[in-house]
Amino acid sequence: MRIDILLSFIVVLIGIYGLCTSKNIIKSVISLNITDAAIVLLFLSIGSSEGGDPPILNGTISSIVDPIPQALMITAIVIGAAITAMALMLSIKLFHYYGSLNWKDIMEKEG
Amino acid sequence: MNTIIFLQTLLIIVALTVTFLKDNFRMVIFFSVFSLICSSLYFFYMAPDLALAEVTIGSAIVPLIFIIAISKQRGFVIINDLEKDDDFLSKESEKGIGYKLLSEFAELYKLNLVIEDYEDEDDTIFGVFRVRNVDLFVSKKHGKYLLEGKSTNIIMNKLAQMAKDYPEIDVVFVAEEETDD
Repeated sequence: MRIDILLSFIVVLIGIYGLCTSKNIIKSVISLNITDAAIVLLFLSIGSSEGGDPPILNGTISSIVDPIPQALMITAIVIGAAITAMALMLSIKLFHYYGSLNWKDIMEKEG
Repeated sequence: MNTIIFLQTLLIIVALTVTFLKDNFRMVIFFSVFSLICSSLYFFYMAPDLALAEVTIGSAIVPLIFIIAISKQRGFVIINDLEKDDDFLSKESEKGIGYKLLSEFAELYKLNLVIEDYEDEDDTIFGVFRVRNVDLFVSKKHGKYLLEGKSTNIIMNKLAQMAKDYPEIDVVFVAEEETDD
């Protein structure tokens, strides 16, 4: 087990912990973002190898890192930004309807 | 490899800081820092295209969206410094023109009005603005009602425009001092 894969996985776990325990909607959305960025990091750390060059081929490079995780993860970054915008829009609607940003208050008012 | 492990440790510390903070704006600033460290890590993992995307999206555009969303989610705090029997800000009576104007204004921008009475007499108006995060300060001078607000607040321009219909109301802009810290 390489230690950098382990450390990236710890960041994923921190994001999931924040998502589970936070009472504030804004903090939940931020934790979702942290999990997103950390998963990108996890994929990159699995795909990279020591001594590899960036996957830009100009004829002289012999060893490159795996370009497949990078190509997958660039879509994940963009989709994460879109999901953030959507979630914050819903949280504004929720605030104007219930007058609170706390999950528990909203649950109580919902009944 | 040592650089990567150092940056990963820093990333864990910043992520824990974000998770245990209480203040919304500070959380957003620390999230921006988190994204910057992430983007430098992507660069050291030999993915320069991802680093470019993350440094624009993660540390500039997403915090901007967060700040816009948070600023739409707070009440519009008004401090009332009028006499007790003045019904300028009262809901019920016919003479409550101030309340009428402010509720119209709040309806336009979808704000929650929070009206409080002024208590602390030693404070200057700048102190009130900075310490208690007040948006509007209502007082009466020389027979006219003064609505004092921060000049940095953009929606105050609209309030000044709306108050032109009422001759007994003046809207005054107060320039904030520079912060010390």
